[in-house]
Amino acid sequence: MLQFTQFALTRALMAIFTLLLVSLIVFSLMEMVPGTCAERYLAFKNTQGQQISIDDIEAEERRLGLDKPFLQRWGNWVGNVFFRGEFGDSCILRLNINQLLGDKFLLSLGICLTSLIFAYLIAIPVGILSSASKSKWLNGSLRFVSYFGLAMPNFLLALMIMLFSTMVFGDTLSGLFSKEYRDAEWSIARVLDFLSHAWLPVFVLGWSATAFALQTVRALMLDESSKLYVTAAKARGLSGGKLLWRYPARHSLGPIINSLGFDLNRVFNELPIVAAILTLTEAGSLLLDSLARSNDQQLAGAIIFLLTASIVALNFITDIALAVVDPRVRRSVMGA
Amino acid sequence: MSSTPVIKAENLTIRFTTDEGLITAVENVNFEISAGEVLGLVGESGSGKSVTAKSLMLLNADNTVYDPDSKIWLYDGEHQIDVLALKKKNEHRQIRGGLISMIFQEPMASFAPAITVGNQMVEQLMLHTDLNKKQAANLSIEMLERVGIADAPQRFKQYAFEFSGGMRQRAMIAMALSTKPRLLIADEPTTALDVTIQAQVLELMQDLVKEFNMAILFITHDLGVIAQTADRVAVMYLGKLLETGPVRNVIRHPAHPYTQGLLRALPKLDDLDAELSPVPGDIPSPLERPNGCVFHTRCESAIAGRCDQILPVFTQIEPAHEAACLLLEDHPSANTGHATDEAPDGATL
Repeated sequence: MLQFTQFALTRALMAIFTLLLVSLIVFSLMEMVPGTCAERYLAFKNTQGQQISIDDIEAEERRLGLDKPFLQRWGNWVGNVFFRGEFGDSCILRLNINQLLGDKFLLSLGICLTSLIFAYLIAIPVGILSSASKSKWLNGSLRFVSYFGLAMPNFLLALMIMLFSTMVFGDTLSGLFSKEYRDAEWSIARVLDFLSHAWLPVFVLGWSATAFALQTVRALMLDESSKLYVTAAKARGLSGGKLLWRYPARHSLGPIINSLGFDLNRVFNELPIVAAILTLTEAGSLLLDSLARSNDQQLAGAIIFLLTASIVALNFITDIALAVVDPRVRRSVMGA
Repeated sequence: MSSTPVIKAENLTIRFTTDEGLITAVENVNFEISAGEVLGLVGESGSGKSVTAKSLMLLNADNTVYDPDSKIWLYDGEHQIDVLALKKKNEHRQIRGGLISMIFQEPMASFAPAITVGNQMVEQLMLHTDLNKKQAANLSIEMLERVGIADAPQRFKQYAFEFSGGMRQRAMIAMALSTKPRLLIADEPTTALDVTIQAQVLELMQDLVKEFNMAILFITHDLGVIAQTADRVAVMYLGKLLETGPVRNVIRHPAHPYTQGLLRALPKLDDLDAELSPVPGDIPSPLERPNGCVFHTRCESAIAGRCDQILPVFTQIEPAHEAACLLLEDHPSANTGHATDEAPDGATL
């Protein structure tokens, strides 16, 4: 147990180190965007008809602390992010990023994680059973469903559901909240309203994630089932469910957990397109917007950092889970 | 009672249905093993040794077809069990790990990596005996000690990857013997081990056969190992037995050209300059089984027009030593008593 705590602590420290490294990269990228925040803001004012001088720019740079050396500015940024959870102001919109993002990032993350959890809750048992089943009908239809899920673009599925819903129920199913709750405080009614809307993006994202996970689980299971230790267990008299769950299923759990860590990123990348169609206000589309349209380096940096932090956190959790299910990982990292 | 063989294979013919048609893996093989006896089954990779061994426990894949007159008789001390006729799950279980245990070539790969060695041993005992968990654990630890694993109670709780190669194979032997099977199948159990460890494991197995009075089917491609281990040897090629007999006789006076070739291919420690002479050619694909004698395509003494057409039958060379080769049938001194051109009945060992 002591060893396990030690292992978890080491992993946590490594995760924090990774995050620091990521913050350095993100911050450097923000710096590499041509023009500073001061120049861009004043240029914006210029278009509004104000006269801007070099002195104005320098004064603005001093006010924003842009005259300080790079490392010091990075230190400040990281310090604010880590200790106060504060991302500073957006360059263009001149608004506090935390207020700007509000719940959006958490909502996006929630939608992605829920889709993933649903995907694996379905894919793990179905994949395991189908790998053990000899029914051509079952395996054929499962293969059809998963190829269908892999091949059909998410946005098309979203459009089809919206079209269907509009034609049958007269409701487009778009957005994350009904009008009356959009800007309301969180309450039970708002949560219920949110859930009644959020199932659609979860379903659309989860659909392809399930198809993907199903293929992964099935392939891992077939791989494990052909290993000698399964034959050896069979030769000792094990059969049926006991053989299946205790041997190949138990041993493919590790790689399945591993693949979960990669999947979050994939789902998050798919979210903006789905969000654009379902007119969700979420962080992914905000990121695209700030990167592509307004060139808002501060906002983009904040979102990229939050996304990486979520992936690092998920990887930390899967590392711990992996050590729990696989004694080889446990021993190798703890050097017992 | 001791005269009843533990296992007896009669006319064992095993085929696989594949997309390319029916493939014959084992053809018309006969053998029997009595309690306390070790039969060595020798042959190259692809000769059908493992398929034969697995058929005894019905462990071959689902596309396996046994010919209707193939029979495997397993004697449990009171009854003769017709193994190939067993259909029910609990009957399969009784054989697998109960009456017959198997040790595999790769000791690392034959333990499940994420389950402790002890748990896998206890699991098997709970399936096959009336012991409770505590008793099963005690017996397992006792068995680990018996095969020479130091600090057995501690080792019992460990995983296979924490064991060394030789220790894993010892643990495998301990697990295989814990249910006191009547037949132990050892499928190249020492191939993956160092030569020094190999000798220890072989010695251990020999001791245990005597102690437990088991029959052993020992599969290997290594005639050197057979010479140390087996009482009798059966040489297999492309799914057919070519020569059988007491191990000393077969090694000293190999009668079949294939056996002679295998022995010539062994390196000689007393003459290191002697060139190795491998058996020429490759084992043919099971899809293109040669007519006549299966070995004629690689045989240096093959007689054109005869060996590629006539199926040789077993000819007795000395007592209990037989080989299936047309050259022997022609040999004037050989006792060709039953060697006629009718369908071969094979030799009963």
